[in-house]
Amino acid sequence: MKRMLWLAFVALLALPRALWAWDAQAVLDVVPTAALVQQQPPSSPWMQAETTEVSGQAALSHSQTLAEGLSLSGTAWGLADSLPSGSPFETPPGKVDIKSRILELKLVWEVVPGMLIWDIGKKVIHPSSGFFRTPLNVISHGPLGNAANINGAAVGTWEEGWIGTDVTLLLGNFTISNFFSPRMLWSSQADSVLQFFSLPQNDFQNLTRLDVRLGNADMRFLGLVSSGGPGSSDPGVNLQLGAGVDTNIGDSITVRAEVSAANSQSRLTVADPLLATVSTDTVHWAPQALVGATWTNAQQLSLMAEYYYNGGGFAGSDYTQLIRYSQNRRSTYPNAPDLLDQFGTLSAGRHYGFVRISGKLDDTLTAAGWTQVNLQDLSGLTGILLTLTHDTWSLNGSLMNAWGTRDTEAGLSPLLWRIDLELTLFL
Amino acid sequence: MKRMIFAALAVLMTTAMYAESPQELLARVDAARYVPDLSFVLQMTSFEGDKQVDSNTLWGFVKGVGSENKSLIAFADPASVRGRKMLMDGNIVYLLFPKTTNPIRLSPLQILMGQASNGDVVRTGFSQDYDVASLTETTRNDVPCWLFSLTVKESRKDATYKKVQLWVEKDTLHIAYAEFSTGDRVLKQATYQDYRKALDKDIPFVMDIHDGENPQKHTVMTYVKLGRKTVAETVFRRDYLQSWTPEQPR
Repeated sequence: MKRMLWLAFVALLALPRALWAWDAQAVLDVVPTAALVQQQPPSSPWMQAETTEVSGQAALSHSQTLAEGLSLSGTAWGLADSLPSGSPFETPPGKVDIKSRILELKLVWEVVPGMLIWDIGKKVIHPSSGFFRTPLNVISHGPLGNAANINGAAVGTWEEGWIGTDVTLLLGNFTISNFFSPRMLWSSQADSVLQFFSLPQNDFQNLTRLDVRLGNADMRFLGLVSSGGPGSSDPGVNLQLGAGVDTNIGDSITVRAEVSAANSQSRLTVADPLLATVSTDTVHWAPQALVGATWTNAQQLSLMAEYYYNGGGFAGSDYTQLIRYSQNRRSTYPNAPDLLDQFGTLSAGRHYGFVRISGKLDDTLTAAGWTQVNLQDLSGLTGILLTLTHDTWSLNGSLMNAWGTRDTEAGLSPLLWRIDLELTLFL
Repeated sequence: MKRMIFAALAVLMTTAMYAESPQELLARVDAARYVPDLSFVLQMTSFEGDKQVDSNTLWGFVKGVGSENKSLIAFADPASVRGRKMLMDGNIVYLLFPKTTNPIRLSPLQILMGQASNGDVVRTGFSQDYDVASLTETTRNDVPCWLFSLTVKESRKDATYKKVQLWVEKDTLHIAYAEFSTGDRVLKQATYQDYRKALDKDIPFVMDIHDGENPQKHTVMTYVKLGRKTVAETVFRRDYLQSWTPEQPR
């Protein structure tokens, strides 16, 4: 496997030098964290443990013009993590846990320059304009690795793409694109090799997008058809639809709104909160929606606010049951499924808010503070971040804290606080 | 008889001189340096007094004039911003970070680089966006100049600068100096220097833009390379940014 990777690397080096050429980024994170953990689950009690996780990530990118209108670009990424689980009792056998992946590798051909573009390979699909939640990212692999989320964004520095082919047609104020991604499954034996290239792709997926420029506003509509196909455990055809808009108001404000919904979404619900038992149900066309705005002044002080509605989340008595279930799960039934995190961190309820303020302290130093709030129980996450940026490196120092009483979503999170010192090198 | 002929000639010359309206003269000033489909490598260096605080090298191309221009810009240097791509379409700005696929919509104030804003970077003409309120004769550094007082057109009310004072050398129609203001407050002062013949036009290769309130803060924009690149109109679309492979001017 290593030999294959080296051969691929040497082959890339042998290509003529592109204008953009090579680009590399390395990130070193030192993350002291306090979390609630169990030494020997499920019998031992939960206890607070402070631990320091050290992780290093690196990404190497290349973009190559092969001919007029034909280019090849790719990004390889690797992560070495001293504590991937976050628990001091679960150190990896080899001291560090190593992961690596080709994030993107695509051949782009402008069949008609500036008008008809054909991509093939591995490509990131990210239509959402949301910052702390991304309802229009209807096909997403989720956060990559175990890197700390220090600025409150839904997506970190790097994203992993999907293997498939994309055709884009730009016509006047319209853009129509169609991305098809095949089903790709392999044995666990093959996975020891193929994991470096891609995650398995469980379904056939076809995403059609229409983007329209209407005056100052950009509108987008998308439809995703997916199916496991014949022989799959889920051979049914599923549909997801979405729409979004963003625009400017004057010189200082941008606003955005987007919504998506799936014809069918299965979720775990509480059957009995006292015994911590669950059942599965299906919700139909439950919308996820986001509205947000960013205001910036001439001194580069920026204020962002977003509201997120999660139609598949829980509200009212269902939410009360969920909190009761999670309390019992923590105290008595630690092996019961974690229902709070089934849609991601801080997403079990229906209503969430996000506010972020950032500004320049001087020419190289910026400061930011952000908070995510569950508006149903007023618990949340808060972070502050200082960034020192120079031409070839940046240094981030951040502190994140989960707050809320023991009958709230964030109050029930095992995470208590986290400090992150992050050094990024741009090579 | 000779005196009569000279008098007639003088009248004719005066008539010819003023046959061109101030707005037409401004259009001629723009035309003297306007290059359709300009591609460039531009260095932007910001100073506070004599101390350099920031420097960026940009590659890109621009199409159209005035506030209707559209430009694609890629950050080539320093390494911390390399790979960022930006589309400016009038007052609308999109920024695509490396390794992401969805360009973020920014407000014009979010993309200030030093003392230079979007309009300063790519401004190719004044006559599209401004009416001439007055035109007078003056001198600047002992060089005879036209002094244009410009006010923003009704249809361009969303422009960053509502008024512009423009000093233009009479002989060459080179813009020498400009003051950009909103109301009575001067926001920017720009000096245009190092005019060179390029692409059959007289182009200022250096523009020095000072903050109106703190003149110690200034940004020098220097063209490193210029060329022409004709591209389809659809290239200036948000959805094209991720497919764009930046190239230096040929």
